[in-house]
This record gives sequence, C-alpha cells and structure tokens, in this order.
Amino acid sequence: MKALVRKEMRENVRIAALGLVVHTLMLLSQYRDYVAVPANMSQPLADRGIQWSTAWFCGIFGLVLGWLQVHNERRPDLWAFLIHRPMTRSGIFLGKVIAGLALYALVVGLPLLGFIIWARFPGHVAAPFELAMLQPVAAYLLAGIPYYFAGMLSDLRQARWYASRVLGVGIALAVSLFISLTPEFWQSLLLILVGAGILATAVWGGFQSDGHYRGQPACGKAALTAALIVGCQILAFLGAVLMSNFFLRTAFSGTSSYYAMTTNGIVCKFTQVAGRQVEITDLEGKPLLDQATGKPIEQSEFNSRLAAAITLNVPRAGRLDRGTWMQRDLSLASPWQATQDTLWYYWNRYGRLVGYDVATRRCIGSLGPKGFAADLLGSGDRFSNAERPLGSRALSTATTLFQVDLEKRTIRALFTTKADNPILAHEDVTRSDFGGPHTLVVTKRSAQLLNIEGKPIWQTTYEPAQASYTGFHLFHLEPPDQFALWISPGGPRDEVERERHPGHVVWIAREQGVIRSTDLPALAVPHYAPRPEDRIMFCVMPPALMASIAILHLPLWPAGMPPESLWFSWGSSLLVCLPIGLWLGRRYQFPLAALAGWGVFLLLLGVPGLLTFLSVQEWPAREPCPNCHRPRLVDRPRCDRCGAEWAPPEKTGTEVFAPLLAG
Amino acid sequence: MNEQPVIRTQGLTRYFGAQPAVYELSLEVPRGGVFALLGRNGSGKTTTIRMLLGLLEPTRGGGSILGYDIRSLPPEARARIGYLTEEHQLYGWMSVRECGEFQSRFFPTWNDKIFRGVIGHFGLRPTAYVKSLSRGERAGLCLALTLAPEPELLILDDPAVGLDPVARRALVESMIYLTRRSDRTIFFSTHQLPDVERVADHIAVLDHSVLRACCPLETFRNSIRQVRLRFPGSPPALPKIPGLLQAFRSEGELRVTCVHYNGATEAALRGLAPAQMEETPISLEDAFISYLGDRGEKSFILSETEAQP
Repeated sequence: MKALVRKEMRENVRIAALGLVVHTLMLLSQYRDYVAVPANMSQPLADRGIQWSTAWFCGIFGLVLGWLQVHNERRPDLWAFLIHRPMTRSGIFLGKVIAGLALYALVVGLPLLGFIIWARFPGHVAAPFELAMLQPVAAYLLAGIPYYFAGMLSDLRQARWYASRVLGVGIALAVSLFISLTPEFWQSLLLILVGAGILATAVWGGFQSDGHYRGQPACGKAALTAALIVGCQILAFLGAVLMSNFFLRTAFSGTSSYYAMTTNGIVCKFTQVAGRQVEITDLEGKPLLDQATGKPIEQSEFNSRLAAAITLNVPRAGRLDRGTWMQRDLSLASPWQATQDTLWYYWNRYGRLVGYDVATRRCIGSLGPKGFAADLLGSGDRFSNAERPLGSRALSTATTLFQVDLEKRTIRALFTTKADNPILAHEDVTRSDFGGPHTLVVTKRSAQLLNIEGKPIWQTTYEPAQASYTGFHLFHLEPPDQFALWISPGGPRDEVERERHPGHVVWIAREQGVIRSTDLPALAVPHYAPRPEDRIMFCVMPPALMASIAILHLPLWPAGMPPESLWFSWGSSLLVCLPIGLWLGRRYQFPLAALAGWGVFLLLLGVPGLLTFLSVQEWPAREPCPNCHRPRLVDRPRCDRCGAEWAPPEKTGTEVFAPLLAG
Repeated sequence: MNEQPVIRTQGLTRYFGAQPAVYELSLEVPRGGVFALLGRNGSGKTTTIRMLLGLLEPTRGGGSILGYDIRSLPPEARARIGYLTEEHQLYGWMSVRECGEFQSRFFPTWNDKIFRGVIGHFGLRPTAYVKSLSRGERAGLCLALTLAPEPELLILDDPAVGLDPVARRALVESMIYLTRRSDRTIFFSTHQLPDVERVADHIAVLDHSVLRACCPLETFRNSIRQVRLRFPGSPPALPKIPGLLQAFRSEGELRVTCVHYNGATEAALRGLAPAQMEETPISLEDAFISYLGDRGEKSFILSETEAQP
C-alpha cells in the first residue's frame, strides 16, 4: 500500500505543484485587494471573495486531480500492470484515494493556512475575527472532495454513451449548491459526507469491475445509479429548457391581484388576468380613471404615481427564522461605519461596536450602551440589535435607542421606552423625500417616527389583528407631512398569508396624528395556469419529488403548486419511462427482482430515472438461437425460450486436438 | 507431470458489441512446460489472456487459473502469476531502479538478482528513465519485472514485439531458465514461430476467435504435410480434398498443404493423375502460415485458376 501511495504522490506531483501555484496566486490576489485599500471594511478570511475563490478552486482542482489519477493508468496495458499485483482492488482504490486526498489537502490547505496565519497576525487585518468565520471556507474546501471522486468516476466509467461519463459531476454540483442553503453547518457537512460517500462507493465499485456496471457489487451499482441521477436531472432540465425555446413565451398565465399605494394615499387593487389588460380599481372596485382623459388609467401612467416606501420587519412572535448558517456567518461581525482614522464593526458576540485603527490595524476598543471601553467587553453592557445595522445611525437596547458619535466615541440616548413595551426594531429614514433624517421605531405596542433629536413626529398604536402582521411599510404622501403606514405579513415566506390578510393601513398627518385606518379586504387566491414550457418542465421532473413538494407544501411556487404539475410528471413517468424501461428489461431478460426494482425506480423518478437507467446499463448483443432461431442474449449460457445451449464452433475438418494432460 | 491443469477454461466467450472476440474457448494448460497461444492479429489472443487474468469480464463461460476462478482472482493468486503486457507500458517518469523497487514492494518472492541480471542482459542503466527507453529496452525491463518475483505461472502477451533478434534470444533464454523448475509454467502468445519452435511444448491456435488446435507441438507439426504434384501441362482443377489448407499453382506444378493427411487425401490427390507426386518437408512457420491462411478459397493464385472454365 505504501509503495502505491508513494507512486501516486510522485505521479501527480506536477498537477499538485501547478495547483499550489494557482491557489497561492488566487490568495495573493485576495491579499493584494485587501492591503491596497487600508480603509477596506472586511475580514478577508470571511469575505465572499475568498469563499468563492475557494469554492471554484477546490471544485476544479478536485475534479482534475481525480480524473488524472485514473487517466494516467487508463491505457489498457498500464491498467493491467496496476491491477495485476498481489493486493485487492479495494486496496488499490484506497491507495489512490489516500494519495489523492493527501495531495488535495496539501494544495488546498497549505496556501490557505499561510493566508490565515497572515490574517491572524496582529497588525495585518483591521477587522474582528472568530473561528466560526472560517466555516464557509472549510465547507467549500470539503465540498471539493465530491468533485475529486466525480473526476475519478468520469474517467473510470466504461460508458457506452460517452457523454454520460461526466454525469457524476452533477451530484458534486448539487452538494456545492445545497451547502449554502442548509440551516445548520453540521447539515452541510452531512451533505458533503453523503455526496462524497455515494461517489466514493461508485468509484470503488468501478475499480472492482474495471469501470463497467456489470460485475460490480450491489452497493457499487446502487451508488453509481445514485451518483448519476442528479446529473441526469440536470441534463433533463437543460433539455427541457432548450425545448421550451420552441414555444412562444407568454409573460403571464393565470390570475393574480395585489394592492398598491399611490402618492396621494389611495390604495388601489391590481388584477392581472392572462390575456387581458391589467385592471386597476379602488377599494370599492371602481376602475381608476385618468383625470386627463377620463378613461381607465394606463399601468405605465399609474406606476409613476406609486408612493415610495421604507420597509421594516419586526421579529414575529413564536417564529424563529434564522436563515441559513452561511447568512448567519456573514453577520457575525458587520461593518458599521468608518471615520477618518478608525473602522467600526458591530460584533454580535459582544453586542458592541468594535473599533480598529486604520494605521496600526489594531483594535482600539469598543462602544456599548454605557460608552467607550478600551477592551471588547466593556462592563458587559451590550446592544440588542438582531438585524444587521450596516450604515445605521442608531443602535438600541430593549428599552433605549441610542445615537452614536464615532468621532468623539460617545453615545446619546435618543428614545426610551418601558420594559413592558420593548423596542422590536428601528430603521433610519434618510430619503430626502421623507423630509429629513428620521427614525422609524416599532415597539411591542406602538410605531412612531422620530426626528433627528429623538422627538416623535407622530405615533400610532401597534395592535396587530393578525400575528403575521410584522412588516411595516412607511409611505410619504402628498401634500408633505402626510404618511401612510401599511402593516402586513412580513418576510418572504408569508406569500399565502399576504393574500388572505393583505394588511392594515393607517393614514397619519404630522399635526393631526392618525386620520383614518382600514383593513384591506382579502385578495382572491391567485390561479396559476402552466404554460407549454412549464408543462415540458413538469414532464422531466421526478414524480416522487413533485409529490413530496405537494405533500410538504414547499413554497416553490408563489401561488401554490399547480395540480397539472403532478399530472404531467406522473404521466410522463407512467406513459413513457415505465413502458420503455419494462420493454428494455424484458428484451434483455432482467431477473424478475431487477425488473421490479427498476420499474419502481422509473415510476418514481420519471425522465431523469430513465436517463440514469440508460446510462448505467450495459446492453449485451443478441444473436439468433441456433435451435429456435429467435434472438437470445449472448451473455446467457442457455436460450431463455428453448433452453438450448450455445452450439460449439462449427468444425472445418482442420482441427488438431490431442490430450495434453496425462491420463 | 501434475495432472491438475494450471489453466482451465470452459466455453469462455467474449463479445465486443455484436462481434465475438473469443468464442466458446475450452482449453486446459498442463502444469510445467511452455504453452504457446498462436493466431493472427485480432484472433482473440490478448482478449483470452485478459480474461484469464480477470482484467476483462467474460461475456459467458468461465475458467480457473491455478485453481482460482478467473472472475475473482485473489491477491495470493496474482502473487503466483507473472504477467507481461503486450505493449510493455510502464510509468514513464520512473527510472529503471524505481520500477524494480516499486514492483518489489508487492511481491514477497522478489529476487533482485534476477532483476539485475535481466536488466543487465538488456544493457539497461538503473538510472535511465522509462520514457527514454526504446521499445526493446522497455520490453526487457518489463521482462525483468515479470521474472524477478519468480512466478509459478508466467503469462506473456506477445513478449517479443519490438525486440531485436539478440533481445529475442535473451527472452527465449529467460523462458528456458524459468522452466528449469518443473512445476513452472509459461503461457505465452506470439507471432514469432522460431521462438515457439525453440521453447514451446504445447500450442493452441486461435483462428477467427475460435480454438482450432490444441496439442503438443510435435503433434501439430506431424499433422501438417505438404505434397508436390507435377503435371506435364497445366495442373487440373483441384477437387474437394479433405483437410486441404492451401494449394499453390505454378507452371506444371501444384503444391498442396493438408492437415490430417491420410489415405483418403492421398487417393484424392492421385485422382488428379499427376506425373509425379512427392511429399516435401515443411517448416513449422510454413505449416502455421498454411494453417492460419484463408480456408476454402485458398490462395489468390488458386482462386484465379479456379475461376477459369
């Protein structure tokens, strides 16, 4: 084993050296970008730039390394030289993988380690750092391992259909995509482990059978099938997109409606029906007329009258929407503001603003509710901002809103409330058309707009009729000093709730306070009619996936999943994929268990399942049976119809045979 | 001789697409001695060897080698089998010495003296890189790597390809050296008939993917005869002759090569009423060429002659 590992390391040392140079240059570029701008407010170790460069480099390098490790010995005689040695094929596979992953770790890890040491050395980076910030880079680094196995698989597979050799890359791509979407870091690690495990098992299976499907252990076959299904789904998807280009794309099909606020404070209802002009009515259902023409207003004209809004979302009670771990990771420490010679970050861990000197690149202290402290902790006092306060003027605790003066490193209380009416959220209103810098503050029971001195311009109660009313949209109306506050379901996941309870609108004037308010009537549930291109797309989607989406009510479609999607998906599976699969299975005399297994597979996975089935299977030739003259498979010792064995080679009368063994 | 065959195949068949490369090969190779597998290019020799070593899955049929199923050769079986590949491919970036060191790590029976002896015989410098070796030198290195573990069974796939006469002689001597131990077996495929004549005890002949002969070399040699028939004028058209391999026609002469020459053959030839009929000696090479040439139509000359009324 050691000899094989050494051989593999030596054999691939060139590509490793090349990778090392490329990776080092990429990190040097990150370094140069950072040091070129001393006031750069970012932590280079947690920067999007390093995350993307790591993701790209690890994926490509892993793929190339894995591919080369097999390709170097793919010539038949060299492969035979490798395989024909007194060790198991599993041992040969393991030797290659140990060497490959060691080289991968070296090439990817060494420059990164150097970069981390540089960034962590005091005086180099003027930004907060904590270990969790390295998690995205670590995840992308590990996500290169599935690419490594995908590279090996691509060269190892003896596929009849040449293009199908690269289908294994699909699962690695899926892993890269989904690791940024999981709620927790451990889930991403699990995803990488599963992806790499499937691909590694498929490669191991390929080593057992010189890359053929036939002759692999059952787990190798299963892993190969699983490894290709994602690639086949991508292929089917791309095929559907290409086919869709043959159809005219209609902008909208179905019906939908929504409300909008005009600059003069009128709430209008937009109703969109496929094939018809958009209908714009008031809340009583009367068409909105253009005062100049007396005709129903055109949408373009209406759009110019829409009021600008400031939006603020408060956390919804009982619902903890934490987002993905990568999103959370990005807000561990957020750039806040910079002065001439200092950079300030809001560091979530300490709940304080932390300052760095631009010249020395070292921490100068922190600002908390009780003022400046030379260390990070202060006296333990901390702000309670849950949202990213990037560029914000104010910070808050549960009961006090503070204004920060970074030049003097002091803070001043702007607004105070009682403990039973805590501050839920606040937002700077800096738009010039809102009449000067204000702050919108929402507490548990009220919403108010404060001027720069912290005095209320107006105030209204916040008594939500629906628990989902957590989104605040503040409109500045005409004439000036008129406002409308529209409270509606907040957050991107409340689409359906937004149709049922579109919101509560309060009209407010600077002097008079609340003028009037209304609850907006529920909107009709939107109907979505699939277009021809959508139908093609449904046809190539795995029926099991579509059914899961429908059962789990996953919010992939704004108006809910159209029922036709299931019909098309299951229809293509039942009417096309299953019959083709069963016909091929019968033609090539699959055993009953295999036929049933593939039948279920095709039924559940539809078109991508069929592509996978066609990709992995090897179809033996058929010849007429010498006895019954019907086609029979050449890999079976007997004819399945008449039971005849294969005829011995025809005699020519020139054969020379004599016994070689004594007795 | 040990009665247990060292290689046994039963109905071994391999298709590439719809084309059979080896068809229903049933063969037994006795332990000890040298067994030559012969045939024209594309007759299935390399495919057979690859299947025997578990490097290629048979389409159907099976076999055993040293008592192990060829579909699942364990490491201990591979340790007892030396295999020399046809193209003599090795890692170009390795030096001759590194190749030896690499190979020696895997084979517990590695004999460095043999390795050094063979590379010395081929004039290979231990520091020379494989990529800088000529094809013949590479063949020598491959041979050294194959012989040094002192395998019980040596399988050589066309080992003489690219070798000059001196190197070929060295190869043959190596084979003779190896078979000093009576339980060692060499199974090799080749086109070099003088080498076969020098070292082979038994032969098997593959013709268009089918085994046509499997016997001791002497039996094969004795089975093939060449007869020269002289005629006063042009030789008559050739009737159907049992065991006819080839016939060459020239002015007043017909030279016929047959297998299983017997009374019926002789009677058929005498029926042509030749003025003179005599058996002529035939070399093993000529015998093979006749045996592996096209059947039925025979030679180009005869086809043309037969086309005349």
